[in-house]
Amino acid sequence: MTARPTHIGALVARVEDDRLLSGAARFAADISLPGMLEAAFYRSPLPHARIEAVGIGDALDVPGVSGPFTAADMTDVSPFPDFDEFARPVRIFPLARERVRYVGAPIAVVVADDRYRAEDACELLEVDLDPLDPVVTTDAALAPDAPLLYPDWPDNVVIDFPVDNPDANAEFDGRMAVSGRYEVGRHTGVPMETRGVVAEFREGRLTVWSTTQFPHIARTMLSYCLPLDENDIRVIVPDVGGGFGVKAEFYPEEVTIPWLAMRLGRPVRWIEDRREHLLATCHARDLVLDIEAAVDGDGRFRAVRGMAIQDLGAAEMYPYGFSPAFTAIGHITGPYRIPHQSVGLVAVATNKTPCGAYRGFGIPEAAFAIERLMDKAADRLGIGRNEIRRRNLIGQDDIPYTTSAGAIIDSGSHREAFEETVRVTAERVEHWRADLAHDSRIKVGSGVVNYLEGVTPTYYMTTGHWTAFDSCSMRVNPDGTVVVSVGVSTSGQGLESMLVTLTAEALGVRREQVRVVMGDTDRTPYGLGSWGSRSTNVASGALRIASDLLLDKATRIAGHLLEASPEDIEVYDGALSVRGSPGASVTWQQVATAANIRTVDLPEGVEPGLEASATYEPPGIEHVPDEFGRVNAAATYTNASHAAVVSVDTGTGQVRVLEYIVAHDCGTVINPQIVRGQVVGGIAQGIGGALLEQLHYDEWGNPQSTSFLDYHLPGATEIPAMQVLHFESPAPEMPWGAKGAGEAGIIGPAPAIAAAAEDALSDIGIAEINRTPITAPYVLGLIPGS
Amino acid sequence: MKPPPFRYARPDSLDEVLRILDEHDGGARVLAGGQSLIPLLNFRLARPEVLVDIALVDEFSRLAVEDGVLRIGASVTQHAAETSDEVARHCPLLSKALPLVGHLQNRARGTVVGSIAHADPSAELPAVALVLGATMVVRSVAAERTIPADQFFLGPFTTALEPDEMLLEVRFPAGTAARTAITEIAPRSGDFAIAGAAGRLTATDDGTVANVALALFGVGAVPQRLPEVERLLEGENVTPEALDEAARITTATAEAGSEDVHADPAYRARVAGELTRRIVEEMAA
Repeated sequence: MTARPTHIGALVARVEDDRLLSGAARFAADISLPGMLEAAFYRSPLPHARIEAVGIGDALDVPGVSGPFTAADMTDVSPFPDFDEFARPVRIFPLARERVRYVGAPIAVVVADDRYRAEDACELLEVDLDPLDPVVTTDAALAPDAPLLYPDWPDNVVIDFPVDNPDANAEFDGRMAVSGRYEVGRHTGVPMETRGVVAEFREGRLTVWSTTQFPHIARTMLSYCLPLDENDIRVIVPDVGGGFGVKAEFYPEEVTIPWLAMRLGRPVRWIEDRREHLLATCHARDLVLDIEAAVDGDGRFRAVRGMAIQDLGAAEMYPYGFSPAFTAIGHITGPYRIPHQSVGLVAVATNKTPCGAYRGFGIPEAAFAIERLMDKAADRLGIGRNEIRRRNLIGQDDIPYTTSAGAIIDSGSHREAFEETVRVTAERVEHWRADLAHDSRIKVGSGVVNYLEGVTPTYYMTTGHWTAFDSCSMRVNPDGTVVVSVGVSTSGQGLESMLVTLTAEALGVRREQVRVVMGDTDRTPYGLGSWGSRSTNVASGALRIASDLLLDKATRIAGHLLEASPEDIEVYDGALSVRGSPGASVTWQQVATAANIRTVDLPEGVEPGLEASATYEPPGIEHVPDEFGRVNAAATYTNASHAAVVSVDTGTGQVRVLEYIVAHDCGTVINPQIVRGQVVGGIAQGIGGALLEQLHYDEWGNPQSTSFLDYHLPGATEIPAMQVLHFESPAPEMPWGAKGAGEAGIIGPAPAIAAAAEDALSDIGIAEINRTPITAPYVLGLIPGS
Repeated sequence: MKPPPFRYARPDSLDEVLRILDEHDGGARVLAGGQSLIPLLNFRLARPEVLVDIALVDEFSRLAVEDGVLRIGASVTQHAAETSDEVARHCPLLSKALPLVGHLQNRARGTVVGSIAHADPSAELPAVALVLGATMVVRSVAAERTIPADQFFLGPFTTALEPDEMLLEVRFPAGTAARTAITEIAPRSGDFAIAGAAGRLTATDDGTVANVALALFGVGAVPQRLPEVERLLEGENVTPEALDEAARITTATAEAGSEDVHADPAYRARVAGELTRRIVEEMAA
């Protein structure tokens, strides 16, 4: 079979958009079942307290209320299992037992005929909490006399992973050391749709509709926690309005709502409101990288060492919240030839919302630190900020290159993307300087940064269980239509389109012949879901193996029907044809009819049916770091260069992003519109984290950003025009060379904007920008004399 | 984020609105555009017994210039005022301020009078009322009275309105003689201001300025005039030195009590000086 490239890279409309844009999609909140009750949670108003009693109060005065239900009622529920070998075990119960460790922790749940009444009842509960001293910062958590979040621990340290690599230390002898402390603020993924769970228990079988990013893992976890076999549980992911990683955690509500449905014998629905989202969905980032680099006189980095200090919040999060910090360490050298590193980690518990996954997953933190440090070294040495990168970047000659963190870079366009970004940025910054020259208070600057991103990471570090595989089943119906079911699931990012395209490409069928099934544990093979920029990568791997099995059989049948050799059959445009004989052709319908209905037409030795299943585990992934933190934890690595052109108002400190330039390489682009959407959306979120978003706490641990009044997401007016330049360095081991585009955009904005703001103020000379968000008061405070 | 139980009334006359307010003695709240009240309800931070929706009271929708006064009734939306030729002609500062109020969607429902009655310290329109010397027309079952803007704002979200009173109308002096300006710093377009400054003045051919009125918003508990800065500029040429001095005095004298997660009082005071400089410079140019 020769490749007749037809669909890869074609600009075609997303197949899911008719549904999503016309209002025909069905989200969790659209699910309404006969007799359904709605739940509301009583959440801790205190950051740290002992639960003395939960009383009904006057809650039963509200019509139709049942509850409250507490941990004491959930005697048949097991805590989340703990598989980790590195960290102190945190036992997570669906509803808090004995103690609450953050404002928003679920203590009790009530149900009523509607959410209004459920909230009315929650308000009337009499919950007796005995306040304990809160721990609000990492410094406070590490203090010798700190109050303990987990009384059976000697301290508040969840994970202590010191690294002392003598090879790295030796590089500091006689070399210039450049150091910095880089802090990425506490922010999180805020999808348009919040979380939601609907559960029904009928005839001994539990059906759960959940906004989760990993339905099969959710089912396994439910089976661990509830007294049910996996066979008795079906998890369905309805249409989902964005995940961004925060829905790739398994949450207390995902056990509590199903348990209520079992207990009450009625369907129960819980739709998270925005306040709950900002309190009880995982937070992210809140990482300090305190690092130094040994730098040669010509700007070449020889080693990086230091510590990652992670504020995990209450640490009650599974998959584990410390995993992004490990990923940060794995990416600390960026796409640079830095021969040695020695970066350790300490992750501590504090009385804040537990941290977990958010798009970028540690890599934005790493990029912020190493790119800021590179700018600092350039400034110190009097080398241009672009020139120092040029001297350190991985080139084509270096590939394959193993970073000092253990990442094996087998492809990429690091230098090419960088130079193109530098070239375009230089033009654009001149344009903007001229455009704003009339206002002497406004200064314009730019910054270019680089990164690489490990995609399709092992999940083992994050879960202690799962690794990186996924699955695909394909079945050809008698009429020639094809059903493709996969273990990844979508949150709206276009996976359906991707799978339609790849199936059409692999089988030579028309796109319209393909139907995709995902997000349903009854109808899809076991898989790990969608996170870590993995779906295209792993699904394409499994799909290719399955489609090859299927094609092998289909061409044998077609060859038989056409009286030709199977080797001479090629597939395209919905038909199986004899190469070189355009008239000698059968349709997929004819082949599938033979396979499924008219089995009398099958050749000797060919079994009935036309379907195939396969799994794909990316080769070469390591699951556990060595003593120096080295691990090749991802299937492959994407790269990009980002540039921000910003203005800074010297009178107020306000930074505005005027334009954004990105040269992005995610391997083969399957659908340029989807990749562009992923990149642009990621950059928009990155700009939010860089300039605006911060989950503030006061000094007593009370959250201060509990609505959109105070948690500021970027809007259309904050997102600039973007130039997206595509580079394509196919992943060598992948059938179509696709890597993954889900997270990359979010990684670059913080260091690019920080560098650009410093550049804008270079005439004035300001203190280093070393934290996010880069707010107006913060920038004004860096200007001398302010 | 669901409101506690409340009753809902939608009377079609002013008398009935006032009767309900009187009857509930502070337990009733007027619902106009709802852009602040509905979120407060959903957060259960406001718990009125009854919401009095004034949408059906025709006379509240009046926007008119009469006898040198721009009268804006209680249900006139910010968008209606923003797009009104009469407002643009007779009260240009209000026209300039309105685009800074929230987003278009908010202004399509939010009302001018509602924003003033809500008295958010970060809001633009109370400062505009203060700068222009607007008059509040207030009525209860018992009596009607007027309150000048400089006596209306008592504290954050607190006004001189009694519980049984309703702000019927705001009257802005109409006029085109003055130059006006407003500016603010907000984290995003459409946000409540971290700090803002609004002003009016008249300028003569010789370059001197007079009738200077300046006000800050977002900086302290209420919108505040800047009497020392106004005196400094009154009758003078606006030189670069005068601008520096105006900024310095603003920073030094502003009552900068507002502190939240977005900015501390010191930043607000400092930026208030810078913003004051900018509006004076713009108006004097």
